[in-house]
Amino acid sequence: MIEKEGEQFMDKLLKLLSDGRARTIEMLAAELDTSASDVARKLEYLEIIGVIRRVSFQNGNCKGCTGCSGKGKKDAAPCKGCIPDEGFKNMGVMWEVV
Amino acid sequence: MSTGVTVALLGQPNSGKSTLFNALTGLRQHVGNWPGKTVEKKEGSFVHKGKEYRVADLPGSYSLSANSDEEVITRDYIASGEADVVCILADSSQLQRSLFMLADYAGIDVPCFLLLNMSDVAAEQGKKIDAKAIGEKLGIPVIPFSATDKKSYDVFYDALEAVIKDKGLLNVDKLTQQYESIIGYREIYDLIPENVIPGYSAMWIAVKALENDKVVMAKLRAALDDNAYSQIEEAKKNAQGAVATGGCKFAWIDDVLEKAVDAGDKKISLSFLDKIYTSRIWGKPAVILTVLLGLIASFIPAIPLMIVGSLILAVKAPVMGVLTSIGCPEILTLIIGDVVIQSFSYIFKMLGFVFGVTLVFGLLEEVGVMARISYVFDNTMGKLGLQGKSVMPFLVSFGCTMGGAAGARVIDNWGQKVLTIALAWAVPCGAAWATIPMLSTIFFGPGAVLVIVAVLLTMLLHMWITAKIFGAKLVKKEDRYGMIMELPPYHKPKWGALFRYVFGRTKETFIRVTKVILLVCGVFWLLSYSPSGDNGGILYTIGVAIEPVTKIFGMPWQLFLSYVASAVGKEGAIGVISALYNGNSYSSGFMDAMNGAARAENLNELLLANVTKPEALAFIFAMTFNMPCVVALAATYQETHSAKWTSIIVTYYTAVSLILAFLAYHIGLLIW
Repeated sequence: MIEKEGEQFMDKLLKLLSDGRARTIEMLAAELDTSASDVARKLEYLEIIGVIRRVSFQNGNCKGCTGCSGKGKKDAAPCKGCIPDEGFKNMGVMWEVV
Repeated sequence: MSTGVTVALLGQPNSGKSTLFNALTGLRQHVGNWPGKTVEKKEGSFVHKGKEYRVADLPGSYSLSANSDEEVITRDYIASGEADVVCILADSSQLQRSLFMLADYAGIDVPCFLLLNMSDVAAEQGKKIDAKAIGEKLGIPVIPFSATDKKSYDVFYDALEAVIKDKGLLNVDKLTQQYESIIGYREIYDLIPENVIPGYSAMWIAVKALENDKVVMAKLRAALDDNAYSQIEEAKKNAQGAVATGGCKFAWIDDVLEKAVDAGDKKISLSFLDKIYTSRIWGKPAVILTVLLGLIASFIPAIPLMIVGSLILAVKAPVMGVLTSIGCPEILTLIIGDVVIQSFSYIFKMLGFVFGVTLVFGLLEEVGVMARISYVFDNTMGKLGLQGKSVMPFLVSFGCTMGGAAGARVIDNWGQKVLTIALAWAVPCGAAWATIPMLSTIFFGPGAVLVIVAVLLTMLLHMWITAKIFGAKLVKKEDRYGMIMELPPYHKPKWGALFRYVFGRTKETFIRVTKVILLVCGVFWLLSYSPSGDNGGILYTIGVAIEPVTKIFGMPWQLFLSYVASAVGKEGAIGVISALYNGNSYSSGFMDAMNGAARAENLNELLLANVTKPEALAFIFAMTFNMPCVVALAATYQETHSAKWTSIIVTYYTAVSLILAFLAYHIGLLIW
């Protein structure tokens, strides 16, 4: 029944996100029998409405470290002594359920 | 006066609205602000077949929610009737996604037509889109468009004229059917009087109410009596809100696009490497192999700098000889030789490893392998009682434990945060990478690689056991959520940025480490200095006195003091070794040197002569698993806000490091 499909899909998606296992987008797509771009657009939506969020890796303001430009500032840029400029760019994106 | 027709341009960001707006209006546009807001208002006009049209370029947004000023302004402008026609733009290369704006617009009853923009891009991707079929399902003109292609504009103007004439509305029947299946939709819909918020249909308002749209709810509150409003609130309680409505919109979009879009998603096939890394069976062994290979590779850049370090040591005696012969005061000569030159020889040897490890692991991150590693270890994190994202602080701890403690800020759960930091202490930091492999090489030669492997395996075991012990107190199993990861594509490393990062870290390490080693070496040298040239000084006396105890853990007193110094900072240990393993005595070492014997300056041999392999092994293990440094201690306190847990962690690590030293010593005795 087409009417029920929409709601059920999102339910299934959220259930998979809450079961404690890591999955890539491709794996989610395989488990939900759909395409990766379908999963991606739904993840985007869930992120926009605040059900899931990106794990944002903030680092900086470590007292005693001389490599940091942001000593004492709250939203300091990542510390160059610890991680590359502008943070890790190649770690992919991680989402978690809020 | 003919007011002309006003066209509003609506669409998601990057759907090409501005390009279209500029193409239509040219210079006949002006930019201002929406009254009372900081949102830009772009209006212009154009003339077509003698008629004047006004155009409003509305702000781009994902949908028409109440989450931002842009969206509220946009939807209010349209609902007010200011615009006679709405032209909705969508990105043809991702219709599944970009039609969401249309789905959210559905229910605002202003005549509209749809531009499938960027049709050239979609064509390049091999997509075939049947605009006519889509138009039939939607009940409005749907035209393929490319804002940069002059020829598509003819069809644009035709569609515009058609809509103005017919005033056709979007067909929302199928979408409404979807919504009917949501719990609470019908109840809310029935409670909404006609035209309660002018310009918006009851369907749209009901959906927004379900989504908990604060502007809509406020207006309903004002317009309805208390009874009706509280019934709406009640109906909302059991609904799934925006998750359900979003599902409906996507399902509707799929229905509209069904059979109208061809060559859509090819089944994504994972690259060969990823098949291995994400496989349940092969993932972990593959990662471990990768890390081992990386470590071995990191030894390679270290070799040239090890040679430099040895060369520096080789000049020690000649330099001291020269200084003495020019009449330099003895104490100064000694300091230059024993403290400065000696220490610098160590510093350069260490730098090789800093450079090597930073380069190899920086490269792994650049290429994208680190992302796979963090993915593979997600359920290991789970077994340790941690969230998958704890892997990030661990990765940073490879550089600096203090950074790892700060990185643990991503973890909201306090218990898991403390556990993450407690485990991050076991991860060898940059200073450990500089000192441990170097010392291992000095003691064990090529066998150092095996020692490092043993250390790493012990580290894994250590973390496992620590997680079991600490996890019981800190973490409950139930707090575990899944993680979704979008693995980045593999790509060629940007060598420039990588080398800048590596050189930067090496330089910073050089500066910091030099200060520490010179200072510690100087202090310890003074404490052990004895003018008569025999082993003497305060330190020697203390050392010999405590040796019976230190021997229990397999370390001679000099190494034990180095171990203690390593608690302040790993490079401090080098400073102590540099001071205490200096030669049997000044005078005999000097005499040997004057007689041309190269032996005296070769510290490797001196150390080897004084330290047995089991003792060296005990020392390596003790030093590696000791607390990282005082700064990490301070950072741990700062991040956990718990003096209690910080002291527990310190005590635990100190005790375990001594236990490991004991075990390593006895195992060493069995081997050698």
